[in-house]
Formats: sequence, C-alpha cells, structure tokens
Amino acid sequence: MLPLSSRRYGAINWIGLGTLYGKEVRRFWSVATQTVLAPLVTGLLFLAVFVLALGHRVDQIGGQPYVDFLVPGLIMMTIAQNAFANTSSSLMIAKVQGNIVDLLMPPLNALELTIGVAGGGVTRGVVVGLTTGIAMMVFVPIDIAHPGFVIFHAVAASLLMALLGILTGIWAEKFDHLAAITNFIVTPLSFLSGTFYSTTRLPELWQTVAHLNPFFYMIDGFRYGFIGHADAPVWTGVIVMCGVDAVLLVIAHRWFQRGYRLKA
Amino acid sequence: MPSVRLGIRRFGAINGLGLATLMKREASRGLKDYNYQLLGPAVTALLYLAVFRLALHNDATGQVLINFIAPGVIIFSACEKAYESAAGSFIFDKHEKIIADMLMAPLTPFERMVAYVGADCLGGLAVGVAVAAVSLVFAELGAAHPWAILVFGLLGMMFHSLVGLLVGIWAEKWDQFSAIHTFLLVPLSFLSGVFYPIEALPAAFQHAMQWNPLYHAIAGFRYGMSGTEAGEPMIHVLVLVGVNLVLAGWAYRWFRSGYKLKP
Repeated sequence: MLPLSSRRYGAINWIGLGTLYGKEVRRFWSVATQTVLAPLVTGLLFLAVFVLALGHRVDQIGGQPYVDFLVPGLIMMTIAQNAFANTSSSLMIAKVQGNIVDLLMPPLNALELTIGVAGGGVTRGVVVGLTTGIAMMVFVPIDIAHPGFVIFHAVAASLLMALLGILTGIWAEKFDHLAAITNFIVTPLSFLSGTFYSTTRLPELWQTVAHLNPFFYMIDGFRYGFIGHADAPVWTGVIVMCGVDAVLLVIAHRWFQRGYRLKA
Repeated sequence: MPSVRLGIRRFGAINGLGLATLMKREASRGLKDYNYQLLGPAVTALLYLAVFRLALHNDATGQVLINFIAPGVIIFSACEKAYESAAGSFIFDKHEKIIADMLMAPLTPFERMVAYVGADCLGGLAVGVAVAAVSLVFAELGAAHPWAILVFGLLGMMFHSLVGLLVGIWAEKWDQFSAIHTFLLVPLSFLSGVFYPIEALPAAFQHAMQWNPLYHAIAGFRYGMSGTEAGEPMIHVLVLVGVNLVLAGWAYRWFRSGYKLKP
C-alpha cells in the first residue's frame, strides 16, 4: 500500500493549471448564448448600422472600400471586450460570492494562477473573434492578406485584455467599479482607437496621442493582417503588443503573489 | 386614550399615497447611483456620436448626418433605461425575495402597473435629458414640434417599460434579461433607424419596418426634434398607442393573476 502523502509534481503543477484553465473555459462556454452568440449579434448589428449609415458617405480608406476597413476593426473590438469581460467577471464574481478562496487555496503558484485565468480570457477572445468573423463572412467577402498577423494580433490582444481584466477584477471591490472601468475606459478605447475610422483622419495632435495607445496597435496590426494596409509601422505594433503583454503579465503575477486585495 | 381610533387606512378609488410611494421608490432606485446610471449612458451616447463625427467629413453633409443621428441616440438611450429599470427591479426583487413587500401593499394591479411605468419613464427622461445635453457637443438639436418630442418620447419609453415589466415578471435569471435586450430590443432599434434613414434599407426591409413599433417611436421622435418627416406622425402615434395598450393589458393580467409573482 502506498503511504498517503502530498501529491508531487515538477516545476509546474500541470494538473492544477489544466483544471483551472478548464474551469475558466467551461465558465463561459456553459452560457455560450450570452458570451459568444450575444457579442456575435452585436458585432453584426454594428456592421449593418455602419455600412448602412456610412457606406456611401465615407470614401475609400487607404484604397480599400469602407466595409473591408470596418470588418477587422469590429472583430477586434469584439475580441477585446470579451477577453476583458471573461477574466474581470470571473474574479469579481468569485470575490463577491466569497469563493475566491477556492482559487487561492489549491497548490497553484502566482504564475500558474495568472496563466490559468488569462488563458480562459484568451480562449474566449479568440473563440468570439473567430465566430464573429465567420458570421460576417456570410454577409461580406473577407480576404486575409497576412494570416500570421491576424493570428498574432488576435492572441496578443486577447492576452492584453485578459490581463487587464485580471487587474481590474483584483482591484475592483464592487460591480460598480467593474462597470465604471468597462464603461469609461475599455469601451471608449475600443471605440475610439481606429475601429471605425482611420487615425490618419484625426488632427495632428490626436494622431500622436492615438499612437501612444496600445488599443490602436492591436486594431491597426489586426487590420493589416486582413487588408495589408496599416496606419503605423507593423513591426512597431508587434513590439508594442509584446511589451505591453509582458508588463501586464508581470503586474498580474505580482498582485497574485502578494495577494493584493485577494488575501486578508 | 388616544383620540384617533386605529383602523384600516381609507382611500378613494385610487390609493394615491401608495401609488406615489411605490413610484418614488422605483424612480429613486433607478437613479440612485448616478455615477453609472446617468453618466454611463451619456458616455456611451457621446461615443456613438464621436465615432460618427470622426468617420465622417467635417463638412455640412457630415453635420447633417450627425444631426440626424442625435435624436435617435437620445430616444434609444432613454428607452434602454426604461427597460433596464423595469425588468431589473423585478428580477432583483424576486432574487432577493423582497417582491412580497410590493405585493403586500394595498395597491391594485392597475396602481402597481402605473407606478412602475411612471417611475421607469421618469428614469428614462433623466437619461434622455443627460444624453441630449452631451449630444450638444457634436450635434445641433432643435425642437421643431415639441408635442411630438414629448408624445413619442413617452410612448417609446412606455413600450420599453411594459416590455421590461413582462420580462421582469417572467424571467428567473439575469441571462433572460440580457437575452431579450441583446437579441430583441437592441436589434429592433438599431435596425429601425437610430443611425440611418430607413430608405437606406432594401425595399422588403423598409416594408417590414412598418411592423416594428420602435421604428415609429424613433421616426416620430426625430420628427419632433428636427422636423424631418418620415411617414405620417399620426400613424406613428396610433401604432404606438395600440401596441402600448396591448402590452398594458397583458401586464395588468399578470399583475392581477400574480403569474410568477405569487406562490
């Protein structure tokens, strides 16, 4: 008979990490109507509204018809909002309901926690982006010029937003705080960072401001993957995304490690 | 001995005090947290307008479209608020099991319905005014036919509030609340002319729009603000009044029978 003892594992607790990730994915998948279908319908509505309202009035942007320009922006907007919503709501609900201890007690270290929770957000972002893209393809033809950029930016942007969601979920004490960050920061940034128009249309000063905004690079780079046209140098976008992801990862890791607003 | 004898409080045909109390409670809970209950819709509306402003040329034609969109955004935001407060307070009260407080009070089903709809319209009005105020940043607003602004604003909010009451009574989970919002109300308003004239739609859709009550509310409201005529205003009024009466009758029945409210 084997003596009872604590379970042993190597440098990484793979079972724990896999379980946490699986839980995060099942959390949104079990209510897929709300978490996948709803953003898809909203994305299609925006597409209809902007094409019907602006299709004839807005000139081609960078030699592309407005629809071609709009579609990648809308997909990215959907990805960003959903990756953020997944992680932020997961932590927020766990804190409000008091079952956050179930996350903190298991033998998972701060890095495994960060990756497990963020992984769920990335998965939701990518799944929602993919389904929205396919649905839009039914109505408008979509070409992909550089698949590598599409995949990189979909994943990098999902990770960025998932990590931002983790930080918000840890920091927020009430649903109001979460709603405030969503309404006053995430939605405005995802609307105003070039989703619906080219930043070259902005006045000089605002162009400079726009280029300091990571949201701009994720939309711009993602769009480059589709239409082969970008407002900013594409490799700058890749570097910015990697840099911001790394910084957020470090902060999220630190917060989990210290137990900031999580442990008594 | 106290000179007043204890007894049942008496009132006439309508319990005015009770009705006003319920209305006050509902209206104040809808606007208590103005931080995101007023500022949230205002910021969102401002965003819609900003996006269109930036996507369009900064010239006369661009301004015309912005002026066209602004009334649509105003009534859309006001109506959304009316739906949210109606459905939200029922689902919340049912979950918290405090719905009995409302059912125990000596109010008739009719009084309850009036109090809720009245309070939701007040909340919607507050949001509408806030959104109109911030819209002035981008749009030039007018009041070509003040009666129409009032009538269509009210009818549109009543429609949403009544739908909200029905959803609130029927729904057991928040998922159902958001499903009706995302899959029914938002598409109905977005596709019925908040952002574009229905002439932009293919002919078959234009025809179908006549069956959408929100098209009539938005077109009538816009007629009130900018004077742009889209269809006959009286038809819009008739359709909306008819739909609201049907919904009110339905809600009244549910209040009276206690469907999903009383055990």
